[in-house]
Amino acid sequence: MVLYDSATLGGSCSGSSSSSSSSKPPPLQQRQQTQQDIDGLLAGAGYRVRSSELRKVAQRLERLETAMVNSPADLSQLASDTIHYNPSDLASWVDSLLSEFTQPPTCPSEFIMDPETNQTVVSDAWTTAEPHMPQVHQNISYEQQSLNNQLTVVTAMEEDSGIRLVHMLMTCAECVQRGDFSLATSCLEDMQGLLTRVNTVCGIGKVAGHFIDALSRRIFQGIGGGTINGGSAYENEILYHHFYEACPYLKFAHFTANQAILEAFDGHDCVHVVDFNLMHGLQWPALIQALALRPGGPPLLRLTGIGPPSPDGRDSLREIGLRLAELARSVNVRFAFRGVAASRLEDVKPWMLQVNPKESVAVNSIMQLHRLLGSDLNRNSPIETVLSWIRSLNPKIMTVVEQEANHNQPGFLDRFTEALHYYSTMFDSLEACTVQPHKALAEIYIQREIANVVSCEGSARVERHEPLSKWRTRLSGAGFRPLHLGSNAYKQASMLLTLFSAEGYSVEENDGCLTLGWHSRPLIAASAWQAVSDGTADFPA
Amino acid sequence: MVQTHHCEDHETVGENKEKRPKFFINDHVDILIEILKRLDGRSLCVAASVCRLWCTIARNDSLWENLCFRHVSPPPSSVRSVVLALGGYKRLYTGCVRPVRSRLGRMRKASWAGDEVQLSLSLFCVDYYERLGGSNSNGRLVGESSPSSLMFLCKPVNV
Repeated sequence: MVLYDSATLGGSCSGSSSSSSSSKPPPLQQRQQTQQDIDGLLAGAGYRVRSSELRKVAQRLERLETAMVNSPADLSQLASDTIHYNPSDLASWVDSLLSEFTQPPTCPSEFIMDPETNQTVVSDAWTTAEPHMPQVHQNISYEQQSLNNQLTVVTAMEEDSGIRLVHMLMTCAECVQRGDFSLATSCLEDMQGLLTRVNTVCGIGKVAGHFIDALSRRIFQGIGGGTINGGSAYENEILYHHFYEACPYLKFAHFTANQAILEAFDGHDCVHVVDFNLMHGLQWPALIQALALRPGGPPLLRLTGIGPPSPDGRDSLREIGLRLAELARSVNVRFAFRGVAASRLEDVKPWMLQVNPKESVAVNSIMQLHRLLGSDLNRNSPIETVLSWIRSLNPKIMTVVEQEANHNQPGFLDRFTEALHYYSTMFDSLEACTVQPHKALAEIYIQREIANVVSCEGSARVERHEPLSKWRTRLSGAGFRPLHLGSNAYKQASMLLTLFSAEGYSVEENDGCLTLGWHSRPLIAASAWQAVSDGTADFPA
Repeated sequence: MVQTHHCEDHETVGENKEKRPKFFINDHVDILIEILKRLDGRSLCVAASVCRLWCTIARNDSLWENLCFRHVSPPPSSVRSVVLALGGYKRLYTGCVRPVRSRLGRMRKASWAGDEVQLSLSLFCVDYYERLGGSNSNGRLVGESSPSSLMFLCKPVNV
């Protein structure tokens, strides 16, 4: 379920028409053509549509597509014995086709868009429907229908509840931002009541459920994080692993970063990789294998893995290192591992990494840099500290993979809205995964992120995602220049995605960086950087 | 000598000298290998259930190596040692190359053949690594099912 345009949501938004980015081709321009009644662009394509009716026609086209997708039997009937009206009169044509797909009598309260007022004609709960809401309704019901293959008829009641849920989530978030907790609490109760009437197994019900939880956490437990941030490192590793298996985002990140590192290490015999978050070390077998098979033979590979300390005396970093060493031994790659246990990345000092001046260094950060963006006024900004010591290592390449989202805005409502869009898209993509228990645990992994973004503040909020454009500015300002990822990485990423059975993933190239998204909404971005040499590269003692 | 031995299976001893000896493929293992080398994966598996000799031959990893690199220019020799260390060509083919090829078949470009094998090798390596974890677990991965990184290559209904 994708909420396309953030401007359409939010209780305080004006009702003016927003860009119709969600309409299906032909693309519509929202220019107000007061003089000419017929839209000029569509007329060029052979369609006569009044400018005032553009959005309505677009919505109906979407409904028609949804109906066609979900009832193939009717489609063949349609092809054989229906009178088709003149298709160049797009408005009446789509109306006539839509009337062929009338809902069965069991669902009498059909949503019919009244052409004049653009309000729903038959509806029991919509008294103050805002003009822009139907657009959201279309999008949600489209996605919900594509998700529930069994439910070919989405009841009007459920569509209605889904919309109301989103509406109320925004209202509640706005109350929280204003500090009006009593109203927020009553909103929460209403939403929890609504949840019982909505399908929470998938679609908007599920995502809304998580956001409602996060909001209630914020209101009742405060912004300190509490139990959400208290998950043990061991738990986190397990959830991370399941997230790795359930959807391709982490695989994309690993493979793309490995390809960049492989290309950067070409011709070097002594290489050192610093991994900012080792976890189970799932990224490195592929790199070890690629190095083993590279023309000219494998180099000496050193890997330094940073990770949280294990509480119960187990040295999980060392165990992973041993496993990787065994793999490297099997494929005849000289390998050395070092583990650095640190609960926060800013606690790591460059001397702990023991970088040898003669070796080529690669720094690999998979979704770690954003954790450093929380600013503590008492000390130096941690991101600047870390970026400066990375630079002092003079790495051959630094691979950065981050979530492509704007979850670090100061305003709570903006952040909430962004997160709602982002995680709805992500849950949408997760629906395609059918392998349990990966899917369920991956959802818990994402749910924890949601809870952190929504319910925490200050130092407890570590999920401070920023979009690629902001990272570009930040890294360029810190003395790094971008490296283009190249066509091999793109090819590999495209192949990897094709392997996943879901058809909605898309890889895009963005000025030398690669992004992976669901239905053209990028969700994760991979980029590569190199320190700008200024002649004074120094190595830590 | 082998010929007469097999003839005895089918005819009485007295007729041996009169009949022309039959050609029995199992007598010519080298030809058999050449033929089996050219089969596709499924046929090779079927061939493995014909008789013990064919089963032994079909288990020979070099046949599967041929299958993996059939449409690709011959790989450097170092690949063999790596693949054998990670579990062998048969496992590589059935676990990675075949599903990758069939999934990518829809939008395959000729130039991708080599990259398909590269990708398969990488996935194979991750799978080996996970199998290592499963066998070495000191209770650390309690509750984890056995290697799962290739699960996404399995279709839900796979005959």
